Amino acid sequence: MQPPPDISQYKELARRYGLGPTPESVSRLTALVARQDADVDEIVRVIEKDPGLSARLLRVANPHAENEDEYTVGTVEAALLRNGIGCALLLAMGTPLSLALIKTFKTMLSLDLEAVDTHQLDSLTGPHMRGSIGFAGKVTGHVYLRMSLASAKTVAAGILGITPEEVGGNDEVSDVIGELSNIMTGNFKSNLCDAGLDCKLQPPKVGLSENFSTPIEPGGGIERLAFRAGAIHIFVEVTANPWND
Amino acid sequence: MATKILSVDDSRTIRLIVGKAFKPYDCTLVEAGNGEEGLAVAAREKPDLIILDVTMPVMDGVTMLTKLKEDAELKAIPVIMLTAESGRENVLQIARLGVRDYLVKPFKEDQLIEKAGRCVTLVKRAAAPATPVVPAA
Repeated sequence: MQPPPDISQYKELARRYGLGPTPESVSRLTALVARQDADVDEIVRVIEKDPGLSARLLRVANPHAENEDEYTVGTVEAALLRNGIGCALLLAMGTPLSLALIKTFKTMLSLDLEAVDTHQLDSLTGPHMRGSIGFAGKVTGHVYLRMSLASAKTVAAGILGITPEEVGGNDEVSDVIGELSNIMTGNFKSNLCDAGLDCKLQPPKVGLSENFSTPIEPGGGIERLAFRAGAIHIFVEVTANPWND
Repeated sequence: MATKILSVDDSRTIRLIVGKAFKPYDCTLVEAGNGEEGLAVAAREKPDLIILDVTMPVMDGVTMLTKLKEDAELKAIPVIMLTAESGRENVLQIARLGVRDYLVKPFKEDQLIEKAGRCVTLVKRAAAPATPVVPAA
């Protein structure tokens, strides 16, 4: 069967412009988020293909367990029944965000960012940088990017190709964090749109935060992600209502 | 004569990176922070190449590109889109407007130079002499 004309045309343009293909796991998971009628068996099959997502779902389903040996909910299907499909879809949204952030650091800073469990990193205390971008449309939510002032300065220096001492004031650091948020969320938004969840991005907001409590969308939830590259620790939160209801 | 590049992006970070990428070449960089400013700078400076973001306040890159292509004096200027948005619909819409090339953020400076080099001639700046040249007495 021939693909629709737009798909063929896009493939030709992607080849001409050298646009890389979307990772298969991202296409699979965003397609899952976009589907409103997938049954539990189908969702289980898709989630089980992604070991990272399966592990996150099981961890959420066993909130009091210190390790896997203490899990009382041991399968993806049981975790889905316990937490609900909305929770799984929200967790699925974390994968494209993670990949976009890791790719951004690799490309622009030549840094290998490692995704870690949030509890493996100390929480941010005191003033820290926070970038946020809202997305609204068939799916609505926010993405938050947070890191310490020292990490933000190191990241800004790396991206601008200067030393941390040469970085200007907080305005320069804020602009870099805003652009990082924009790149990460822009990639994520493109995946959502390609899966049929058309939405638009709001301009990034960047500022200093202290004792920040992430606001959650009405009827929605939150997925927390953490990353590490040496002394740089980064926290990402996505809040969304996967069904936009 | 130096090649004139117009960078239109609301992020100062991206304008700095673009400037850094072209620094080794005989280029003059002019900048704008949104599409409206970009059109004004393009009309005034007549750049050889425009590097254009999509999502910007005041006027976005798609609107600027549309207006640029409607302007008889500016429509021949090649445009490279530089954006984090690579969704199918975005790419198709922008391609139909007549963009020369498309680069998705995050990007490496040499990717931008490679694409720019397909649109305009980029000549490396002469290396600075190792010792200052002292004029003859």
